[in-house]
Amino acid sequence: MAHIPDGFLSAPVILGSSAASAAMLALAARRSRDTLQERQAPLLGATTAFVFAAQMFNFPLAAGTSAHLLGGVLVAVLAGPWAAMLVVFAVVLVQALLFQDGGIAALGANTLNLAVLGAGGGWLVYRWAFAMLGAGARRRLAAVALAAFVSALLTGAGVALELSLSGVVPLRSALLVLLGSHALIGLAEAALTVGILAAVLRTRPELTPAADLPGPAARRWALGVGALALALAVGAGHFASGAPDALEVAAARFGLHEAPALLATPFAGYEAAVGGPWLVGTVGVAAVFACGWLALRLLARR
Amino acid sequence: MGFHHLDRYADAGGPLARLAPAARVLGVVVIALGAALLPPGAWPQMTALLLLVLLLAVLARVPLAVFAARAAAPLALLALASAAVLVLAPGEPLARLGPLALTDAGLQRFTAALGRGAAAVGAGVLLVSTTRFPELVEALRELRLPAAVTAALGLAYRYLYLLTDELERLRRAAASRNARRGSAPRRRLLVALAASAFTRSYARSERVHRAMLARGYTGALASLRPHPLERGSALAVAGLAGVVAGIVAWARL
Repeated sequence: MAHIPDGFLSAPVILGSSAASAAMLALAARRSRDTLQERQAPLLGATTAFVFAAQMFNFPLAAGTSAHLLGGVLVAVLAGPWAAMLVVFAVVLVQALLFQDGGIAALGANTLNLAVLGAGGGWLVYRWAFAMLGAGARRRLAAVALAAFVSALLTGAGVALELSLSGVVPLRSALLVLLGSHALIGLAEAALTVGILAAVLRTRPELTPAADLPGPAARRWALGVGALALALAVGAGHFASGAPDALEVAAARFGLHEAPALLATPFAGYEAAVGGPWLVGTVGVAAVFACGWLALRLLARR
Repeated sequence: MGFHHLDRYADAGGPLARLAPAARVLGVVVIALGAALLPPGAWPQMTALLLLVLLLAVLARVPLAVFAARAAAPLALLALASAAVLVLAPGEPLARLGPLALTDAGLQRFTAALGRGAAAVGAGVLLVSTTRFPELVEALRELRLPAAVTAALGLAYRYLYLLTDELERLRRAAASRNARRGSAPRRRLLVALAASAFTRSYARSERVHRAMLARGYTGALASLRPHPLERGSALAVAGLAGVVAGIVAWARL
């Protein structure tokens, strides 16, 4: 449920998300006009038509399921983040007004989730990962894969946050359900985005400007942002360790707490004998980052 | 694909279709916002809002059977999407289904979401039944959306049909060259088609850009048939907003 239908959001959430989306779209309109100039109208028109057409395709995935492209990160990489936000907004707008896909009062929230967080946030992740990995065609594709996956997660997190702020469902169960489903959507989105981008760059290599290759300054920035994220993750892990986590809450809701063996992990309940929660949190976060980093490097080399 | 794929439902005549397109879009937004502002459990007010939407459908001369048929699919999707709320919202359990508990708060939020959704979807169906895509773009331009968005939508409407026809030719060409069945080859084929769609639409945008420059384009798209928000349409929207505000005030005060 990437598109929130009408009927769920409360008035403050509608107001806040609409204001945030309007501000970001105004900024995007100004910046895209400055960078694209009078090339803007034909380029955005053609890209919007492409996203409409691409969303009609249903790509078969494993086990009889299928997915369609969201396209935010693909357009952001090829046409720039500001253009991507405008294109995704145009698509969301028409889907809400003409196809009743996503609510009309919820339009601000859906724009925030799909255009601002999905396309804009996804582009930031792409720039960060590309700067961390360094220049190169395969490294670019690996960065795009990560960005597409995270952009789906960001969209899901936005939906969960808005639904819980509206008092529809508690944040923990909303996050559990939406991040879980959007992780699957994100895998499909990453595969499709990388496949399409690789094919596009094979036939039209000049479409990716050389100017966007990360330099040493960008790499320093990326390292700084990565270290900050690491520190935040360790800190959050420390503060969160007292409260039951989403999985435990869900297990209790569904009456699964009689079967703890199913959920037993190393460091269960974060009560390690040595080092206390700080060490455990650091080890856990470092393990997650190491796994992600290894996966990215393998993807980049292949 | 026919050129009227996006406009095939815009067949209603009647007084609503004669209002300025911007007034129709504003009307839908007013109804959707009004429905969102009704607190859960305000059933008399929700009924009043739904009756208002039905009255507008009669005014728009959309036959009620057609209206119901067009609203059915989005409403079924809405019911499916909101079913999770039934068990996820914490509250007093009313009934148990295996590990899942149907709660009273969940039931209230589910029915409230369905009621609000029905009002918004009904209003949206009226918009679709009276408004063609170019009119919608004109309305968005009238409502001062960024020029980049309205220009993108106007041009996308023009090129979407060309693009889908190109894709159909590509698909037929692949099929006639023995594109194999099965999910992995089909996925590869679809990815290649999508990539080709992007490069073709990008190349078209470059050609269109050169053609526009050759015709003296300076960055502003002119509208051939402007339909500004004239006084009658503005009054109609104001009247509707007054009625909806009255219903919301009745529920909230």
